[in-house]
Amino acid sequence: MSFRLTIEPLGQEIEVAPGQTILDASLRAGIWLPHACCHGLCATCKVQLLDGEIDHGEASSFALMDFERDEGKLLACCARLESDATIEADIDHDEDARNIPVRDFVGTVARIEDLTPTIKGVFIDLDQAMDFQAGQYVNLEVAAPAGARRAFSIANAPADGRHIELNVRRVPGGQGTGWIHDQLRLGDRVRLAGPYGRFHVRRSAAAPMIFLAGGSGLSSPRSMILDLLAAGATEGITLVQGARSREELYYHQEFVALAAAHPNFRYVPALSDAAADADWTGFRGFVHEAAAAHFDSDFRGHQAYLCGPPVMIDACINALMQGRLFERDIYTEKFLSAADAQQARSPLFRRI
Amino acid sequence: MDMKVKKKLALKEKFALMTRGLAWETSYEPMEAVYPQMAYEGLRIHNWDAWEDPFRMTMDAYWKYQAEKERKLYAIIDAFAQNNGHLGVTDARYINALKIFLSAVPMLEYNAHRGFARLGREMRGVGPQIACQMQAIDELRHAQTQIHSLSNYNRFYNGFHDWKHMSDRVWYLSVPKSFFEDACTCGPFEFIIAISFSFEYVLTNLVFMPFISGAAYNGDLGAMTFGFSAQSDEARHMTLGLEVIKFMLEQDPANLPIIQRWIDKWTWRGVRLLTIVAMLMDYMLPKRIMSWKEAWELYFEENGMALFNDLARYGIKLPDCTELIRKEKDHLSHQAWNAFYTAGMMTNFHTWIPTPEEMDWLASKYPDSFDQYYRPRFEHYRELEKAGKRFYNTSLPQLCQVCQIPMLFTEGDDPTQIAYRQVTHQGDKYHFCSDYCRDIFTHEPDKYVEAWLPAHQIFMGNCFNPGDDPSAAGFDPKKSVLDYWHIAFGRDNMDFEGSEDQKNFAAWRDQATRN
Repeated sequence: MSFRLTIEPLGQEIEVAPGQTILDASLRAGIWLPHACCHGLCATCKVQLLDGEIDHGEASSFALMDFERDEGKLLACCARLESDATIEADIDHDEDARNIPVRDFVGTVARIEDLTPTIKGVFIDLDQAMDFQAGQYVNLEVAAPAGARRAFSIANAPADGRHIELNVRRVPGGQGTGWIHDQLRLGDRVRLAGPYGRFHVRRSAAAPMIFLAGGSGLSSPRSMILDLLAAGATEGITLVQGARSREELYYHQEFVALAAAHPNFRYVPALSDAAADADWTGFRGFVHEAAAAHFDSDFRGHQAYLCGPPVMIDACINALMQGRLFERDIYTEKFLSAADAQQARSPLFRRI
Repeated sequence: MDMKVKKKLALKEKFALMTRGLAWETSYEPMEAVYPQMAYEGLRIHNWDAWEDPFRMTMDAYWKYQAEKERKLYAIIDAFAQNNGHLGVTDARYINALKIFLSAVPMLEYNAHRGFARLGREMRGVGPQIACQMQAIDELRHAQTQIHSLSNYNRFYNGFHDWKHMSDRVWYLSVPKSFFEDACTCGPFEFIIAISFSFEYVLTNLVFMPFISGAAYNGDLGAMTFGFSAQSDEARHMTLGLEVIKFMLEQDPANLPIIQRWIDKWTWRGVRLLTIVAMLMDYMLPKRIMSWKEAWELYFEENGMALFNDLARYGIKLPDCTELIRKEKDHLSHQAWNAFYTAGMMTNFHTWIPTPEEMDWLASKYPDSFDQYYRPRFEHYRELEKAGKRFYNTSLPQLCQVCQIPMLFTEGDDPTQIAYRQVTHQGDKYHFCSDYCRDIFTHEPDKYVEAWLPAHQIFMGNCFNPGDDPSAAGFDPKKSVLDYWHIAFGRDNMDFEGSEDQKNFAAWRDQATRN
């Protein structure tokens, strides 16, 4: 049976499976804990146990000494839960995170819309309202493969919480998204869990914001921007939206209209392959190129939110850093797994 | 009375109050005058508050941790001494690796201590100041524990009876000594890139792994334990190295070319220093962990590349020298052992020809080079030994002006041609082992013309035993130099085979295991 783990100072609760390490469970839940060797030798992942029972596993006696065990220290990479527990980790408190508990929801498909030839908008009316932060995602149960869940960011603003919009791109050969595109019908009952993720706007920074979105990665930025504008935010907001061609660029008119209505909102659409769109007068090129051109490669003083395919994220991070915006001001919807710690990447960056 | 319950401070806030909260801006003296070394290297730092503390350890916690580590370590060292642990090592040849370690490394640790102590004073930001102060104490602890651990050996075996004297004088030990003196005479920012980033982060695994895993593999519990004890500090040192480079690169775009030059220089300087480690792994550990080539591929070509891929986001490029290093990995250890074997009269440790089984192991690990270039040479030396004509190089080698290693490295694409580079500076010729050592010289010639090169100093008459008269009849310059180094001829140097160490180890082990 699994246990609940509360991670302070975030106050976030996560589920830890039997035999699963605290580090593994945290990373999979999107909570970054300091770590390096991942096998109990370097002590980088040392945290304080505030409550509960744990097993220290294979923690080295030099990395975690006896007096530290007596004081309730543990190595997250080795420790496993033996009861519900609370730890305090050396991570920064995130004053913008609302730490909303995850719950299960049931809803009815109210509308399905073709947004582009490859992306469908799925509108779900929930039986009970879901409290979520703009930018968070849900896990939707799909019928194929049976019993599987797929993660989708919520594309609309939180507003009343009864209506959830998911934008689903058909993954070539993908069973789950194939089922949504081909089988899901109006009136179908669906089950989902949420809200998940720590991708949300950091209003406390009080800085102008840049949203870089590629393909169906528009969902979270759209939710965030609609939420900000509805709340009367006055910070500068720039959305750079990338798509392959004009027919893949969706919600274009909506953003054009929002830009006209809100002087603090700028909209920069970019098409990477607009050969067939002779009348396209907007930017031709990739999202990171459009952003660099729009900001003249100087992103200092901004907060950037990135959402899209991994190659786009990587290119955008490079462009942002070359324009002097660094890790502390860059947020992506990226999930770290324990596999990431196995030296596929160096520990130079924590979140990006 | 109303008690206001205050929320417990988060670790970050607590650390900030106990470190950064203790700093102040001066009033009657300009900050530039208090921190005079911050400007001259050309590095631009606009905001010291942007420094992210790489670890949050307060001084009181630091003392507690280190004291506990010491208690554990010394319990094991004592047990090792009481049980004659030295007789448990695989083979007495292993002890020669310890002689190199003890002659070279505590001095490196001590110089690292000096360097970080200086930075603890000179760094203007309180975050880096505290990190450097802690590391300064760590390095001092490492030097002390190494000396104590190895004192279990130098009371029984020859060659490291006067390691401190030797580390200042013996020819090959000028390589590590000059490496650290180069770093310590740099500005504070270059020092911290050289040591915290290039050495502690990029190359540290390549130093620790052969010595510490090598100790474990070869039954040396004492050396292994101080290794683990020191390694628990390294996590802190490595995170400091990463924070340092991020901080400097993020502060100003003008810092990039300066830092790139330092990374290029210190990656190469570090790799040259590791030549002796390569030799130790492939030739001196009776029970081997992995070959130097395998270690290089794992720790540099895989892990190091992941780091440079991430650094590319800042515009940092992989140092040009890595291409030559890739070519040298098939040759480095063999060329170094060849140099030490033939210089075996001038060393404070013993040398030997690998056994036929060891040569087969080397051939399997180096299929593209060992049988082709090195086995014939070692077999030739063995034939000479059998014929009673053991080959010793009796002349002094030409040394590279920068790394101070004898000119023993070959051209990257031709392992039969020794690489020579030279530069004329103010009418004098200077010699280099490679393009990269030459480039380091030409960037700062006035620094490197001051190098104290042992071979030159011997020729200049500066390394004879005090009191010896070089003009006297029958003066033996070699004997006089060995006397000056405190190396006892025929006891500390030359072949392992037939040495006092070999005989004593066999006799003592025999006593320990039989009635």
